Amino acid sequence: MYRSLISLVIMVPLLGACGASVPPPTQRLADAQSATRSARELGANNEPSAQLSLKLADEQISQAQKAINDGDNKRAESLLVRAKADAELAVAQSRERGAKIAGQVAVDNSAAQETTNFNQGAER
Amino acid sequence: MKTNRSIVLSIAATGLLGFAACGTTFPPQDLVNARTAFARANSGPTPKSDPADLHSAKEQLDLAEASYAKDGDTQYTRDQSYLAVRKTELAEVVGRTRQSDKEKNGVVNAMHADEKQAVASTSAELGRTRTQLANQNVAYVAQGTALKDEKSRRQDAEKRAAQASADLAKFATVKQDPRGMVITLSGSILFESAKWDLLPSAQLKLNDVATALIKEDPLSKMVVEGYTDSQGGVSYNQELSQHRAQAVRDYLVTRGIAGDRITAQGFGLTHSIADNKSPEGRANNRRVEIVVQPTNPTLSLR
Repeated sequence: MYRSLISLVIMVPLLGACGASVPPPTQRLADAQSATRSARELGANNEPSAQLSLKLADEQISQAQKAINDGDNKRAESLLVRAKADAELAVAQSRERGAKIAGQVAVDNSAAQETTNFNQGAER
Repeated sequence: MKTNRSIVLSIAATGLLGFAACGTTFPPQDLVNARTAFARANSGPTPKSDPADLHSAKEQLDLAEASYAKDGDTQYTRDQSYLAVRKTELAEVVGRTRQSDKEKNGVVNAMHADEKQAVASTSAELGRTRTQLANQNVAYVAQGTALKDEKSRRQDAEKRAAQASADLAKFATVKQDPRGMVITLSGSILFESAKWDLLPSAQLKLNDVATALIKEDPLSKMVVEGYTDSQGGVSYNQELSQHRAQAVRDYLVTRGIAGDRITAQGFGLTHSIADNKSPEGRANNRRVEIVVQPTNPTLSLR
């Protein structure tokens, strides 16, 4: 395992410009795009931190697509790995916003109920 | 053996890359970022709130470190470091999300607890009201029973009095006057002239009187009053009436009337009820009256 990894590491610089021998990372591209879609659906654009992560993911995906077109699949793969991680972070950040909103709604409801209780108490 | 070979290979690889990077030994910025991010997350609340994702981040950082140790500042090392940063941030975000959820649930639970509290206090109040009503009911029933008892006691007393009057009416005059119920017995049936020993026939009559009086309200008091006609002196008649009243009183006590309920008093020739000039009038004046005083009013109904 280690050996194959290490030999790959050794081989890559040796191969130099022969990027064409690495296949286009289509699966990674699909994964990254799917993750950004999820983040958007969860409202990533409504949460500043999620919006930033999503933007990074989008930018890296388009850079990766350009790299694939240029035949630099190695660079595209690297960009897509990062893009996917950014998009996943955006998903989590969107969820955090949802939880915050739900928590705030609960707090508001509780306050409203207390007011109601208080008023009822005053009526008694 | 395997490790040794790996090390040899890594050294070879580092050497190759080292030439390209002009021998720099500083770690790549991505790796520095990853170390900083992980150290920050690890010292915060994340190890408690999201240990699983933080562990993944740690593994990712280890991968990056291993890659750097073996191969130096490669693109792979940088990518792995970048992933480590993102995974660390993800763990922090997920941890915070869980914390918010927990707080929200806490608020919701507290809200439910408030509702439960309100329901409990309302139902407790209801229980108290019910108990109060039940107690009131018991009190009413008790009052009703007391009322009924009192009523039946009074009815009994009235019935007894009526029965006693009816019995006595056969041989004595019974009338109601302000003193109470007055039973008048003629002196001639009780005593010989100028004597205070009871005649044997008188004793039979007095037995009936005693029986009737026992049926009277047991709380009533009685006074035996002796009267004479105007023949003879005042003091003589006073003494005679006193002795006669006492004789009747004592006999009644022997027939079962409680001694503390009955007293005797002589009135002599006073309080005549008829004309002393005629024999019939004098006969009427010679008499013994048994006064049954009404029951103490405080014991009757309010």
